[in-house]
Amino acid sequence: MAKRAGIGFYIFLIIFVFLVMFPFIWVFLTSIKPQGEIFSSFQWFSSNMTFENYVSALETRPLLLYMLNSFVVATLTTIISIIVASFTAYAVTRLPIKFKGLILGLVLAASMFPQIAVLSPIFNFVTDAGLRNSYLGLVIPYITISLPLAIWILSTFFIKIPLSLEESAKLDGATPFQTFRKIIFPLAAPGVFTTAILVFIAAWNEYLFALTINTEDSWRTIPVGISFYQSQFSVPWGDITAATVIVTIPIVVLVLLFQRRIVAGLTSGSVKE
Amino acid sequence: MKQPKKRRFQLNERQLGYAMVAPSIILIAVIIIWPILLSAWNSLFDYRLNDPSKAERITSLSINLETYADNRYLVYDTMEDVRDTMPQAESTLANITSALDEQHETLLKTDEGLADRYEEVNTMLENYQPVNDDDLRLTEIPEAWTDGFTATLDEQTAAVQTLREDAPEGAIQPLTDLESQLSNTKNAVLEPNFVGVNNYTQYLANGRTWTAMLNTLLFTVVTVGVELAVGMLVALLINRVFIGRGLVRAAVLVPWAIPTAVAAMMWTFLFDGQSGIMAHYMAQLGIIDDPGVLLSTGAGGMFSVMFADIWKTTPYMALLLLAGLQTIPRSMYEAAAVDGANKFQQFFSITLPMIRSAILVAVLFRALDAFRVFDLIYVLTGGGPANSTESISVYAYKLLFEQQNFGAGSALSVIVFLSVALLSTIFIKLIGSDLFSGRLKQ
Repeated sequence: MAKRAGIGFYIFLIIFVFLVMFPFIWVFLTSIKPQGEIFSSFQWFSSNMTFENYVSALETRPLLLYMLNSFVVATLTTIISIIVASFTAYAVTRLPIKFKGLILGLVLAASMFPQIAVLSPIFNFVTDAGLRNSYLGLVIPYITISLPLAIWILSTFFIKIPLSLEESAKLDGATPFQTFRKIIFPLAAPGVFTTAILVFIAAWNEYLFALTINTEDSWRTIPVGISFYQSQFSVPWGDITAATVIVTIPIVVLVLLFQRRIVAGLTSGSVKE
Repeated sequence: MKQPKKRRFQLNERQLGYAMVAPSIILIAVIIIWPILLSAWNSLFDYRLNDPSKAERITSLSINLETYADNRYLVYDTMEDVRDTMPQAESTLANITSALDEQHETLLKTDEGLADRYEEVNTMLENYQPVNDDDLRLTEIPEAWTDGFTATLDEQTAAVQTLREDAPEGAIQPLTDLESQLSNTKNAVLEPNFVGVNNYTQYLANGRTWTAMLNTLLFTVVTVGVELAVGMLVALLINRVFIGRGLVRAAVLVPWAIPTAVAAMMWTFLFDGQSGIMAHYMAQLGIIDDPGVLLSTGAGGMFSVMFADIWKTTPYMALLLLAGLQTIPRSMYEAAAVDGANKFQQFFSITLPMIRSAILVAVLFRALDAFRVFDLIYVLTGGGPANSTESISVYAYKLLFEQQNFGAGSALSVIVFLSVALLSTIFIKLIGSDLFSGRLKQ
């Protein structure tokens, strides 16, 4: 259905993109308004632009620390999760093991469980192990939550690599693990990278565990930190909009750079090729 | 000579395969399956973290040696203070000491090795170490001993009370301390708090649970339905060659990629009755009577969370469907057009059947996500106003961590788990083996 696009189509497209982006546009415009104007007017553009909200957002709460925490947790999760998941994906797609269907079924079931159902026992484990308010306390549950997604996507990429390459490696005397490390993993690099981005985004965005396990302000991650900007008595919209803009920028950059890969990863699970 | 060598190579490959699968399976078993079983077990107890007598799961009458040893030490220590400030109390104190010692001796004789365990706990406490090992800390006790123990403590507490009536100024404080320490010692005895399915019957008879369940179902059906319909429309419209494809794709991905909590904060601002632009415009267009109704009425709140979810997820749905559409060969439409099929006939007899499994998979994962909804509602409305937007996960979270009622909260989380399991079984029956296609060597 590769139709050519007409002018009407572009008008539709602009309206669609505008509607999708409207909340961001409005939040950005609000973030550069002086405090007084935010509460009193619905003017789109302010006559006296200011960055006071940004200064205040960074001063009232440790926003940069939240971002650092999120970054460390998401990076550790991504690295460990990719290593563990690629092992499983390789074994399931390439090695002669039994119960492949059972293993994939378990992985699939694990991706469907509701997180609230494991939250309280994990909270107890983490508390007993003294891992509350630490990076590890979040990384351990995150790895497990992201495993099903990672295994699922990596398997679709691994299965596409031609078997002949492995056969010749085997003939040259490579052990199965060498074949994995030197042939399959590098060849699937684009797939591995795609998976890594998706796992990173998922870990960066996680809220429930972060809210429950890291309750000290200096260990909070971005999603939790942002949700604590509003207090019971006042809602500092200026700070909140500025903080939202600050935390959204890295994601916009990530998405702009890797949109093609992200889409490839997202659709690899649902479309037969 | 060659045959056996090759077989060994095969065997190694298989062993490697199991070794490579093991870490994932262990993680899933330890961090997902075991906790779900523990949640189910917890849900059978009246288990509350904020009540010291119910902060453990106790199946039979037990004593907490940590609390017992700690209070015993405190009582003896305070008795010294009383002795120093009120010499005439000596006879009462001697009574307390002998009564407590008698109970203590009997207790240590109730179980073999209990004396050693008590010593171990005592040593740990002297070194300011917390006693985390349940097997060391908790021990079953006979009912007879418990009755005598509680009666003794009550008696001695009363004796201390009498003593305080004509105590000199300086002895009042130590006596008050002693009294509360004696009565606190009773907290070491833990009544069984196993309640069977009581949490389930109690919370399934509770209107708030059903409201939360219905809210969750309504939220799931409406958001997934709208996301599918609008997503399909958008996918059909943008399934063509145009300039700026990458840019549109990126724009569409941003709402999906930002944290839900951040999106929820944004929408709290846009729906705000005072300074929210969405509320302002909707009131001006006459859709709502007053900008305030969005976040202050039940219907308005439900609309707000649904709208925010639809905004965040429709573009993602459209992308999934678009990828499905692009796998349909163009020749099929050409052939249909030659046979005189119009656009609607083409949609229903080619497009839909061709992307059926893509749609089902997308709907399955979306429906499961929607059913578990937590962040969006928790941040956007907090479940309010008056619990009218509370989802079952939000209610379970509040019971678990705001009321610290782990028993009831676990019961609700088990209900969420069972609902999700039911939902996915139905879907998987519908989708069938398509889910595994492309992932298993045939």
